[in-house]
Amino acid sequence: MLSEATNRVRLDLNAAREIYETRIKAIRSPLGVTTLGFGFLSALKTHDAPELVNRLRRLAQNAELDFAGVVTSERTTLCRIGPHSIPKEAVQAANPIANLALDRGVAISGTVVLSKEFLSAEDPELADRAAIRLLPTPRAAPRDEKQETSGMALMAAIPVFDGGDLLGALYGGVLLNRGQAIVDKVRDTVFQQEIYKGRSIGTATIFFNDLRISTNVLAPDGKRAIGTRVSKEVKEHVLDKGERWTDRAFVVSDWYITAYEPIEDIFGNRVGMLYVGVLEEKYVDIRRKALSILVLMTVAGMGLAVGLGYLLADKIMRPVHRLIAASQKVSEGNLSPEIGPISRDEIGVLQNTFKNMIVSLEERDRRRRAESDNRLLQSEKQASIGRLAAGVAHEINNPLTGVLTYTHMLLRRRDIGDDIRSDLETIAQSTERVRRIVKGLLDFSRQTKLDREPTEVNRLVDSTVSLIENQALVKGLSIKFNPGENLPVLTLDRNQVQSVLFNIIMNALDATEPGGKITISTGISLSARDGGKKGVEIAVADTGCGIAPEDLDKLFDPFFTTKEVGQGTGLGLAVSYGIVQRHGGTIRVQSEAGRGSTFTIWLPVDETPERHENTRS
Amino acid sequence: MKILVVDDEQIVLNSCKRVLEADGFEVFPVTSAQKALTTLEQEGFSLVLIDVKMPERDGMYLIEEVKKKWPDMPMIVMSGYDIPETIEEAAKIGAPIFIAKPFTPDELLAKVRQVIG
Ligand SMILES: Nc1ncnc2c1ncn2[C@@H]1O[C@H](COP(=O)(O)OP(=O)(O)O)[C@@H](O)[C@H]1O
Ligand SMILES: [Mg+2]
Repeated sequence: MLSEATNRVRLDLNAAREIYETRIKAIRSPLGVTTLGFGFLSALKTHDAPELVNRLRRLAQNAELDFAGVVTSERTTLCRIGPHSIPKEAVQAANPIANLALDRGVAISGTVVLSKEFLSAEDPELADRAAIRLLPTPRAAPRDEKQETSGMALMAAIPVFDGGDLLGALYGGVLLNRGQAIVDKVRDTVFQQEIYKGRSIGTATIFFNDLRISTNVLAPDGKRAIGTRVSKEVKEHVLDKGERWTDRAFVVSDWYITAYEPIEDIFGNRVGMLYVGVLEEKYVDIRRKALSILVLMTVAGMGLAVGLGYLLADKIMRPVHRLIAASQKVSEGNLSPEIGPISRDEIGVLQNTFKNMIVSLEERDRRRRAESDNRLLQSEKQASIGRLAAGVAHEINNPLTGVLTYTHMLLRRRDIGDDIRSDLETIAQSTERVRRIVKGLLDFSRQTKLDREPTEVNRLVDSTVSLIENQALVKGLSIKFNPGENLPVLTLDRNQVQSVLFNIIMNALDATEPGGKITISTGISLSARDGGKKGVEIAVADTGCGIAPEDLDKLFDPFFTTKEVGQGTGLGLAVSYGIVQRHGGTIRVQSEAGRGSTFTIWLPVDETPERHENTRS
Repeated sequence: MKILVVDDEQIVLNSCKRVLEADGFEVFPVTSAQKALTTLEQEGFSLVLIDVKMPERDGMYLIEEVKKKWPDMPMIVMSGYDIPETIEEAAKIGAPIFIAKPFTPDELLAKVRQVIG
């Protein structure tokens, strides 16, 4: 009975996460739509704050936002919906999400921690709402501060472009502190308002660090238990180690069957937790009730019925139990567990499915082992270059600062002759080159974890193409994008995949003479290698110089380049390869010397997205 | 306007001084986090430019100390180790403006103006 409860709570946590993510989407989409409007764009272009505020207020009302505003490309707030709609503060509090969206040039959404200064600038009432006094809680980890003044919010920020120019960003969000909408929606939809002994059996909470900032867990006084904290044990597992936690846990004053998982902010830091729990008492009680009903039935002389029921149950339940036991074994690493004789009905189907699953697991296991030797080499290479790069970066970049600044200061002078000027320009250009190489080394060496979010591949390609379009035009090349239809959404690290695309398209540009053509297309495709796994393909085809057959297998080696000294670093494809590989994908190359090349990136559709990785959407 | 520049490498200090003074700023170079803190106790500044990697106390320590004692002091973080982790770490403790070394005079001035109009 208790393990059934545990299973259910886990499912409930998934549902809660879905509701959380849905709320983020419900912020992001209307913001995105607003930035597309012509009126908005022209108001932003002319910095027409009153008009923008009008539009923002309407938006905030429709999308039920607590705050919203516009940041210019200089990262200053232009206007917002709060009482100080035109900012007057001398130094503005940084807007972490808008700045990130501006830096990266892509829309960002997710969980954000906001400083008190930021909140009070948006609206002093929000800062008041965010401030939560820490209440003494038995079993919580010690904390020094008496009060939390920062807020946790769900936000989105959308960069706004005019042609190729970044005009600014639109941002908006809801403050989670003392908010009730999300947790109550979880309670009402997931637990369907089941009431047990006058209290809701299911509860949900959003934690900021270990602090309850939004909850329908009730304190003994009947009020929401805001300001109480999670037990030290849970904090260590979920916040410190980043694990999911499902167990019996002591929440405020009762035992609950609980599930927690970490919430990551837009930077990938663990900043809080999502929680659902079911009163344990209810399950204990139901078990007692079930027993007593059985006793009653027997006593009433319904032995026959009971016997029949038992037989039926046994016939169905025994194979199911075996399957459950077997799946536990599989998850422990035993790939050939006994699952009992195959029966003919639905249970048989289930058993067969299970068998197939084991076969494919074995297959995958074998392939993994074969691949891992190869991968080891690559990652060793990467690690040693990484150490080198870190050292080089520090040692070189300081003196390089001197060279770069003094050269430019000299270049500013009017009293120098053309010959000196041209010498100085040579120095400046060479220094730029060193700067690029060091930066390339750093990027190559970084094996950062992927920051995945659901991504529409066509939009990603489109935005990358529009970044490069101008350069192609200047070079006299035509660049064309043929988006495939009905592509599944992939969970990708957008920035990293975009840099792969950027590298590969820039290579195509470099390889192609004026008058040439670059064609980028996307489509659904089954992998040739992974037993036909479903994925999305992005092909970049050029009509350029092509690649000599003997160079084909060196392309992805770090520092392999055929470009003139100063033009290439030979790191682009090496970095790209690593990124695509970490997504479980591949890069293929077809080329005919003199006629052109096609680079094809294949990325798998994620069938079992790891939910806990993904607070951001 | 007065700018405090903190870096353990003399060449970086000289570069910043040269660029910023040419643009009319008053520049005070110091070579460690401790010296930066004592200087800040004595004088007011419009901006502190902080290198991340320094022997003894590093730039992150200095940012935290400055945030504690002068919460409104604008800061710019500079580092030769231009990776998102550095930038995010500095942003998290309250210094979201970052400039990668090496930089050109124009790049440095643009960042400074972004912070103090
Ligand atoms: N589309 C292409 N057509 C021809 N050659 C290419 C193409 N893309 C890449 N290459 C070759 O692969 C090499 C390595 O590319 P890359 O790793 O991006 O480094 P870089 O561009 O700095 O040289 C290039 O120098 C070039 O010889
Ligand atoms: Mg390249």
